[in-house]
Amino acid sequence: MTTLEHDRLVFRFPEVHEDACCAIDFQRTLRLPDDDREHLLPPGLGSFPLRHVDDFSHRLPPNWHDRGGVFFPIHRAEAMWVNFSADDYPFAVKVAAGKVNAVTGEPWAPQLNRDPQDYAVLPRQPWLDGFCVEKGVIRQFVAAQLGEGATAEEQITGNGEHGGLQFIVYPMKADRYEEIRRQRQQMMEDRVMYSARRSVMHGIPDLVEDMDMGMAPGGRMRQEIYEDEHGLDTWDQRHGQRCFVAMADALLWEAITDEQPPTEPPTAEDYNLAGLPWFDYYDDKAAALEGAEKLAHLKSIRDTLLKGIPRAEARVRHVGPSRRPRP
Amino acid sequence: MTHFGQYVRERREELRKGDRRYSLRQVAERIGIEPAYLSKVERDEVAPPGEATTVRLAGELGEDPDVMLALAGKVSGELQEIIRRRPKLFARLLRELKSAPDHAILSVVREVRDGDW
Repeated sequence: MTTLEHDRLVFRFPEVHEDACCAIDFQRTLRLPDDDREHLLPPGLGSFPLRHVDDFSHRLPPNWHDRGGVFFPIHRAEAMWVNFSADDYPFAVKVAAGKVNAVTGEPWAPQLNRDPQDYAVLPRQPWLDGFCVEKGVIRQFVAAQLGEGATAEEQITGNGEHGGLQFIVYPMKADRYEEIRRQRQQMMEDRVMYSARRSVMHGIPDLVEDMDMGMAPGGRMRQEIYEDEHGLDTWDQRHGQRCFVAMADALLWEAITDEQPPTEPPTAEDYNLAGLPWFDYYDDKAAALEGAEKLAHLKSIRDTLLKGIPRAEARVRHVGPSRRPRP
Repeated sequence: MTHFGQYVRERREELRKGDRRYSLRQVAERIGIEPAYLSKVERDEVAPPGEATTVRLAGELGEDPDVMLALAGKVSGELQEIIRRRPKLFARLLRELKSAPDHAILSVVREVRDGDW
């Protein structure tokens, strides 16, 4: 079952295994300078508020109700990243923007594919900041209104029909997980034995028309989508859970929900002037996927909608596999 | 029974292995309390902090705020307000579910509806 808890989508599979639980939330962030240089990880500035579409369907277009799921407010040209949380239990997660796969650029299909790999593997993949355009390089997710031609969906399909983000989550098969757990347990026991031995030795109807948002490719950033080290047959594709995450123009959020929308985030320039750091993430034990040809040719939002984004001279903090730090 | 302070210390130390920013001093600074006070909290020498500080600490350590508040022997003001608005209904609901297994409780939690897309 998929639930909404503290602005996070929580995916639980009690029918597969009691440990099979992971979560996805959407983090506000700085828009990267779109200058063809490869930038480092921008910080998380807090999560976007998420609401059930069903709670506001009287104020939303009918197709939003048909799709179900949840929605959040985002300003035009605002950037965001997808934050994955999983403990030990592994998951395969497909992510699409406007029903275009963010890893391969292919049209949405629910099943997992390995050649090329079209999904991310949790918990190894801690986050996804954009479209995978080259090996080790993504183009940041930046919000654009559907109809302006800037979104990846419109550039690839020629239509702005869906917008939003789409997810399907598959848990690992329970017997494979138990096997991994047993191996880990054995390794732990071996380590303890080894240590022990060593120690012995040492206005709404008009407004809603223009509210649908999609994801356009923004600035380039260093980020790897890691290769599946478990293999396609380890995933329990009989038990997928999917969710449509729509995005509403933040200016209309109050009219829809009666809640204040989030303020506009600071610019990269403001952030640097405040002396706050960017991050360089590394995981030297994982192999990265190649980028997708279809996504590599997308035009940046700089070329379609935005001009003159400031350059950022950044302070950098190096972080290993861990939670994404805050500024 | 897990003590609140012990739990906080173990979680913080675990995070510190991968990131030095999780030192006692830096975590205390980020959540707006004195390092000496956090040290006492971690050694269970003083009662757990108030709700707002516990929630900030949960955010800092990547923990569920409701779980951290429960460990601190508290119920969030938000949950109290929810119960206060419909006390009879929620009291009945909680009593009905108090001994139910997890999967039975999950079956009454609201799911995100998946539609046609």
